[in-house]
Amino acid sequence: MAVIAFSGASTRSSGSRPRSGDFNSRDLLLKRFLPCSPPYAIASPVKPTARDLRTPQLQLGNMNKCEENKSWEIIHIPDKPPFPLHQQPTVKVYAAVIDPKHANTLKPSSCQTSSKTRPNEGCIHLSVILCLAGESESQLDNIPQEVVEFINSYKLETFITKVCKYAPLSKEEWIEQCKIWPTSYHPPTYNIRGITGFSKEESNSVCTFMKQALDLAKCECQMMNAAIIIDPSTNEVIAEARDQVNSCSCCSINHEATSQNHDKLLLNSSATKPKLLNYGNGVSCLNPWKWSNQKSCAWHPLRHAAIVAIENSSVRDKLLFHDNEHVADNLDETNPLLKKQKIKSIHVKNEEEVVNSQSNGRPYLCTGYDIYLVWEPCAMCAMALVHQRVKCIFFAFPNKSDGALGSVHRLQGEKSLNHHYAVFRVMLPQESFDECLM
Amino acid sequence: MSVGRLVEESVKGMGSMHVKFASVHIIIKMGEEMPEIVAFMKLALEQAKIAFDNLEVPVGCVIVMDGKVISCGRNRTNETRNATRHAEMEAIDVLLEEWKEKGLTKHEVADMFSKCYLYVTCEPCIMCASALSFIGIKEVYYGCSNDKFGGCGSILSLHTNTTTSDSGEDVGRKSYKCTGGIMGEEAVSLFRNFYELGNPNAPKPHRQPIQQP
Repeated sequence: MAVIAFSGASTRSSGSRPRSGDFNSRDLLLKRFLPCSPPYAIASPVKPTARDLRTPQLQLGNMNKCEENKSWEIIHIPDKPPFPLHQQPTVKVYAAVIDPKHANTLKPSSCQTSSKTRPNEGCIHLSVILCLAGESESQLDNIPQEVVEFINSYKLETFITKVCKYAPLSKEEWIEQCKIWPTSYHPPTYNIRGITGFSKEESNSVCTFMKQALDLAKCECQMMNAAIIIDPSTNEVIAEARDQVNSCSCCSINHEATSQNHDKLLLNSSATKPKLLNYGNGVSCLNPWKWSNQKSCAWHPLRHAAIVAIENSSVRDKLLFHDNEHVADNLDETNPLLKKQKIKSIHVKNEEEVVNSQSNGRPYLCTGYDIYLVWEPCAMCAMALVHQRVKCIFFAFPNKSDGALGSVHRLQGEKSLNHHYAVFRVMLPQESFDECLM
Repeated sequence: MSVGRLVEESVKGMGSMHVKFASVHIIIKMGEEMPEIVAFMKLALEQAKIAFDNLEVPVGCVIVMDGKVISCGRNRTNETRNATRHAEMEAIDVLLEEWKEKGLTKHEVADMFSKCYLYVTCEPCIMCASALSFIGIKEVYYGCSNDKFGGCGSILSLHTNTTTSDSGEDVGRKSYKCTGGIMGEEAVSLFRNFYELGNPNAPKPHRQPIQQP
């Protein structure tokens, strides 16, 4: 059962689609793809078993329908771009047909779970993947020495074949990949809420907050981007904002109307249906340079909705927790423990200390919070949300020109970053969509 | 290989040379240009040291127009509890505030930014690299490269493409020239000092190891 070890390992270790130059070293490849020892694994032409087919969760296109909002859908945006079903990327490998009698002795211990064999037209046909083959057709000289020894000791006849480069993300992909080389399917096991499905309650609150963001995004002159940061454990609104790149009087948020009073907000927005002259024209993440063409008085080229929402959340943080620090200041001399605590809270920088600061009741930045955005954020905003440690991002409309969560870049798949959020697109029902464009 | 290392090795060869690395141009001229660049980078490093003294990740920058420093900034992420308050964002905001007070129009502000040079001790992160392309900065010089977050060649290259609308007007990013490896060693040693404070063996007050109550 080589391929699953093979492609599974590749996906988990590289995650995002590898950039050119990533895979130069054959040794590195072997370690990455074939982590078991000996460095080859057995592939069995396994057909999907009933158990496999019953495995319920699909990662890609995993749709969660809101109970009360039947046509709303929440779609997970994975950390690597999906490939068309029939165009799964492949790599060349050396493989060999082996005698089924040898299967047990050849089989690496770590791959035992999927060692089923199936009779193929009366006889059992078994092949093993040996190692990666170079792109050039040059023969066996680039096979590692230990693999050569293995081939010689069992007198194997090798051939070059193609196998899928990445582990399947969905059942559909897996079925397609099995036509190239059969594997067994391991649904992704994430511990992030939502990727393997939302509960009814969660779906409903996702839809509620997205509606709230959509309402916030409307103003009299144009549609803007809006951001709402919430604490999903309490459904409390932590901060909200809209684009302040070109603010005019009608665009400034009336905090009385919006502060955690969703019903009032809904009433407000339905009473005055905004007319959109230019669809999406006022959205900073879509038209970042637009700021230089406006004539209004209050403006800032970088105050996109997500950036402003982060700023608001940090102001709230300082207001809520400032007193603690102040108390610690006063008690420094009398209580050394408090002083220690204060030092800790100042020095918070890595995840270990997140635990520490949370034990003080103060969350580290936006750890554990979700953000709702009407439009997919640009690279600046998406990276800001990485810095601020947001847990999940929900957006309604993709940003084809500058989106950094799948459209142009895909920051959730950049492995070098120190924080990764889960990304979901909330698909609106047609009527809500139409309402946005009216 | 880091950009800093590349420069170092090139300098050993002396003379004038032009190295291209990950779409970042590194021009080394042992002539008139370098002293000025180094002088401004020293000012940026001073800002980074102020950040260090304030228990912030030590990154600093200066913005230069017509050969004069017109703004400076340093990392203030811990103080503000806002992880987006990087040195570059601070320095940009100082200018925007000032120019708005002077009553400059947006067009004039855009024009001003297009004459500005940024000197920053560490390669701008993806957020800042993007922000710099939005405001339309002319040129960026940085110290050490940023292998984790770098937006000017290390992870993404946000300084390289200009986007325009269908009608041809600029609506998106403006590309800018970016040069790395200016006093990179000094920037790195500041980082090293900063992170060494977390070492329990360090003599001064340091980050505490995890202690669950």
